[in-house]
Amino acid sequence: MIPAAGALLALAAALAAACFVRFYGIAFLGRPRSPEAAAAHEVDPVSRAGLLVPAVLCLLLGVFPAPVIDLLGPVVTALGLESSLPEQGVAGWLSLQPLPERRASYDGLVLFSFLVLAGGFTAILVHRLGGAGLRRGPVWDCGYPDPAPSTQYTAASMSQPIRRVMGPLLLAAEERVTMPAPLDPRPARLEVRLVDRVLEGIYRPLVGIVLAAADRLNPIQFQTIRRYLVLVFLVLVSLLVLTAAGR
Amino acid sequence: MRLLVDLLAQGVKMFLVLLAAPLLTGWTRKVRARLLRRQGPDLLQPYRDLWRLLRKEPVLAENASWLFRTAPYLVFTTIWIAAALVPTYATGLLFGWATDLIALVAFLGFARFALALAGMDIGTAFGGIGSSRETMIASLAEPAMLLVVFTVALLAGSTQLSAIAEFLLHEPVGLRVSLALALLALLMVAIAENARIPVDNPTTHLELTMVHEAMVLEYSGRHLALIEAASALKLTAYLSLVACIFFPFGMIPSGSSAFLYPLGILAWIAKMAMLGAALAGFEKAIAKMRVFRVPEFLGGALVLSFLGTLLLFVSRVL
Repeated sequence: MIPAAGALLALAAALAAACFVRFYGIAFLGRPRSPEAAAAHEVDPVSRAGLLVPAVLCLLLGVFPAPVIDLLGPVVTALGLESSLPEQGVAGWLSLQPLPERRASYDGLVLFSFLVLAGGFTAILVHRLGGAGLRRGPVWDCGYPDPAPSTQYTAASMSQPIRRVMGPLLLAAEERVTMPAPLDPRPARLEVRLVDRVLEGIYRPLVGIVLAAADRLNPIQFQTIRRYLVLVFLVLVSLLVLTAAGR
Repeated sequence: MRLLVDLLAQGVKMFLVLLAAPLLTGWTRKVRARLLRRQGPDLLQPYRDLWRLLRKEPVLAENASWLFRTAPYLVFTTIWIAAALVPTYATGLLFGWATDLIALVAFLGFARFALALAGMDIGTAFGGIGSSRETMIASLAEPAMLLVVFTVALLAGSTQLSAIAEFLLHEPVGLRVSLALALLALLMVAIAENARIPVDNPTTHLELTMVHEAMVLEYSGRHLALIEAASALKLTAYLSLVACIFFPFGMIPSGSSAFLYPLGILAWIAKMAMLGAALAGFEKAIAKMRVFRVPEFLGGALVLSFLGTLLLFVSRVL
């Protein structure tokens, strides 16, 4: 079970990375896609801090994971699962030790300082050897830059490869291309139809059953008072019988 | 004294992979050219290319943001650290315990994330092609890679690379079906991740078939030099990983004399040369596939690695 769960976790991580490349890339990068976006200006520092604080917390979580895992331990135990990670404790404050008899196998601080040192070294060396000069020029785009912002990737085109690979299986994705004949002035169209299989396969039938049962039981609401009393009495008797049978 | 030697060995290793990486690229290019009955460029040509790019003034697109300028440094640094943390010629190096295989996969994933974002920064169609296809490849390659990690970890009882190498070096593991499946899956993932031929062509000049090259199309000068060096380092890291897990012969175990290290370095160079030649031969023998056949290729890797893990669960001897 653990390897399958791990592989699914890796799939989820890779898909999340793809999702946020798309999200950040479309929302914040590239050329402005509308006149309103072109006129956009930076917000005040307080609003930016609202994004910066969670980002810094994410970094801290990666560099010092052990205290958070210790904090999560009681939750895992309360869920009735066996906490498979041992208590990290004060000695392992800086590093993660999945197996206590071995030395740590993830030390965020060491890795982070390695990264900072190597990054600084690289930056200094590259600037020493190559100089710090920089020239701004027009976009290259392999020689055919098109100034129209609509030539950029959009959210739909960005996700097309993944949709083609996983869509048919998970979302019953269907792509239909309508290509008009030559000399036909109508535009070509690409239609994408997605079906949520969980919604269609599980929730919709369940909702259907509930609704059908409600329709059948609806006439009970329109009875005379005598019949209501009989119904209440019958329910009471059957409940009593059930309790008696349960003893 | 011992600490000093260890520290020195770690530093040597970091710079050894950095210096050896372009040579490995040059070697695979040379072997490939010779197999095609061409003379091929000089073995040292990648160094000259990197030096030339490094000295050139980069031309940045007018609308390039800070992300575009920092991404090469991020990509290069993370891949360099990842390559330096794979045991190459000795197992128990000083900082080997600080990371395991899963962290290594995460490092490589981070580098890819940064590069995919940089590809979208200028807002060109080719950058978008590259980024979207790269994320598609990654979404299949990463689970396969982690399943390989699990197979090896189940066998060796650790995800730490030094521990795995020592286990496979000293324990009577024998020939195992699960390890063979994991090796095959890891090779397929390595080919996809390094943008080698059936998946991507590192020397292509046709934009529509590019994946990795399309993402870095706008880079020039020292930024491009860093990205080229990072791809060479990535290839070295993956081949070292294959050598470390599946061919750990000649690696110097921890606690042995420092005078044995040159021997280990020689063994590592020999292994890299053989794997590089094998890669060139494989690339020569196969044609590049369509982009939407890549999922089938990587799906194969996923199934193989999953079978490997499953076999280990079913039977301890397979």
